[in-house]
Amino acid sequence: MKNYDLITPEGTKDYLFGECIVIRDVENTLVELFRSCGYSEMLTPGLEFYDVFNLNSRYFPQENLYKLTDSKGRLLVMRPDSTMPIARVVATRLRDAMLPLKLFYNQTVYRTEPALKGRSDEIVQTGIELIGSQIKMADLEVISTAVTALKSFGMEFSLEIGNIGIFKELVERLEVNEKVKEEIRRLIETKNFPALNDLLDSLGSNNVTYALKKLPALFGGEEVFEKAEEIMPDENIKQLLDELKEVYNDVSELCGEDGVITVDLGLVNKTDYYTGLIIKGYLQGHGEEVLSGGRYDKLISEFGYDIPAVGFAVNVNAVAKLIEKNGIIPSMHRVDAIVYAEKGFEVSAIKTAQSLREQGMIVETALFDDIETVRNYAKEKKIPKVIVVNSEEAE
Amino acid sequence: MNKPIRIALTKGRLEKDTVGLFEKLGFDCTAIHEKGRKLILPVPDANMEVVLAKANDVITYVEHGVCDMGVVGKDTIMEMNGKFFELVDLGFGRCKFALATKKDYDFYSGYGVKTIATKYPNVSRNFFEKKGMDTEIIKIEGSVELAPLLELADGIVDIVETGTTLKENGLEVIEDVAPISARLIANTVSLKLRKNEIDRLITLIEENL
Repeated sequence: MKNYDLITPEGTKDYLFGECIVIRDVENTLVELFRSCGYSEMLTPGLEFYDVFNLNSRYFPQENLYKLTDSKGRLLVMRPDSTMPIARVVATRLRDAMLPLKLFYNQTVYRTEPALKGRSDEIVQTGIELIGSQIKMADLEVISTAVTALKSFGMEFSLEIGNIGIFKELVERLEVNEKVKEEIRRLIETKNFPALNDLLDSLGSNNVTYALKKLPALFGGEEVFEKAEEIMPDENIKQLLDELKEVYNDVSELCGEDGVITVDLGLVNKTDYYTGLIIKGYLQGHGEEVLSGGRYDKLISEFGYDIPAVGFAVNVNAVAKLIEKNGIIPSMHRVDAIVYAEKGFEVSAIKTAQSLREQGMIVETALFDDIETVRNYAKEKKIPKVIVVNSEEAE
Repeated sequence: MNKPIRIALTKGRLEKDTVGLFEKLGFDCTAIHEKGRKLILPVPDANMEVVLAKANDVITYVEHGVCDMGVVGKDTIMEMNGKFFELVDLGFGRCKFALATKKDYDFYSGYGVKTIATKYPNVSRNFFEKKGMDTEIIKIEGSVELAPLLELADGIVDIVETGTTLKENGLEVIEDVAPISARLIANTVSLKLRKNEIDRLITLIEENL
C-alpha cells in the first residue's frame, strides 16, 4: 500500500512564514474594517449537517462538497460557504434579536475543485452579512464597504454591480419550462451569444426575447443604463433598472479615483442564492473575482425565518497571492536580539529576555551550549545583538 | 501604451485559420509566420500577443487569466468545461461530434448496457445521460475506430469531418451529437477590465467573418 505521509491532499497546501504574514495582514485589514463599521464576528462550525446545504434550491451541487458521517451515521459536510450557516443561526438562535443584524466572519471554506487545475479546495473567506434591512441604504453600505475593502489592498481594482432580478423578471415572461430557463441562464452567464441567439430565436421574436439576447452585452460604464432602458419591455423591469442606476451613481461618487465602478446586467450565476443586487470585485492580475456577494432575500426563509439580507465575501488567499506576486510583501518579522545563558544562569537569561520583550523587542533565547555556535547562528539569521548572561543581574 | 492583449491559439489548423482572419483584419502576422520554436509572438500593430498552445491548454490559460482570450474548438470546450465567456462562433474548423457504429448494427436494441469508446468521455457521458441511458465509457487515446472493429465497444463518439475514415473501416454515423466550430473565448475578468480593447477586436472580427 502506498503511504501519503509526506504530502498534503490535492487542492491544499502548507503556508509558511511570509505567506502567512500576507494572509494574516489581509485578514486583519478586513476584520478591522468590518469592526469599524459596527459588524460583530461569528464563528460557525467547520462541520455542518449536509441538510443545511441541501435546501430545496440546491445551491451547492453535491459533487462539490467534502462529505463525511458523524458517529450516528448522519451525513456531514465540511462547510463550503459561510452565508448558509449564518442564515441557519439567524433563523434559530438569533430569531428574536434586534434587526438589522450586522455580522462578519473570517473562516475557511472547503469545496472540491477539479483536479490538476491549479485551484484550491480550501480557502479563507472574510465577509459581512447585513441582515434584516431592505432599504437602499443597506445596499449602499455593503457596496461602499466592499469598495473600501478593495481599496485597502493597494492595487488597481474594479467593482461591478448587477441585478439578477432583471433576468428573473424577463425569463418569467417566457412560456417555457424550467429546463429551458436554466439553459438561457447558462448561456447568458457564459456570454455565449451565438447559442443564446439560436435558442431565443426558436422561441419566437418579441420584446422579451430581444431584451434577453442583449442582456449579456449590457456591461460596462454608465452608458449601459441608456442602452438597457430602450429595450426593457415594461415598467416593473425599468424600475429595477432605475434603482440600480441610482446605486451606481452613488457608488461612483464614493469610489473616487482609486478604482472603477462598472455594471453588468448579465451576472446570473447558478450557484447563487442572490435575488437582486449582485456585487463582484476584480483586481488586475487575478483571473477570477476576488470579492463576490449580493442580496439574498429568500435564503433565510428557507430556514423558516423570512427576512431580507445582503453581504459579500473576499477570497483572502487570492488577494494574498496577488500581493505576493506584485512584490508588496511586508518585511518578515526580524529578531532583534538573542540571549545566551552561561551554565547556571538560565533563569536570569530567561528573565533578561522577558524584560527586553516587554520593551517591545523580538528576542530569542539561545538553544546551544557554546557561545561560538550562538554567534554563527545569529550571523546566519541576521540577528544584530547577542547578549551573554553570566551574572545574576538582569541586563 | 497598455500591456498587449494576450490571445492563445490552438496550434495547427485553427491557428492557421485564425492567422488568416487576423491578416484579413490587416494585422501584421510576420512574427507568427517566422516563429521558429518561439511560443509567444507579438502582433505589434494590434497591441496583441499570440500564444500557441494545445487545445486543452488554451482553456486552462484563459481560465486562469494568464491569457485574456483564446481560440479553441467547441469540441474541447464541451469536453473540458470551465469558467470563461464564449463570445463568438468563428465559423471555421467546422465538423461535428457523432455516434458511429459498425454498419447495419442496431445500437439501440436489447437491454444490455452498451459500451462506448471515445476520446471525449465527458461529451459521451452527457449525451447518454440526457437520453437517460446507462453506458460504459472507455477512454481511447488513438484511433477510436478500432474499438468497435476489435469488439471492445458497441459504438464510438468521435469528431467526424467527412466520414471517410469511418466508411473505409466499415463504420457509419447513426446519430449526430453536436456541431463543432472554432470559438473565441475570453477570461471573465479580462473582458471586464479591458472591455474597450476586446470590444474593438470582436467588432472587427465579426465584421470580417
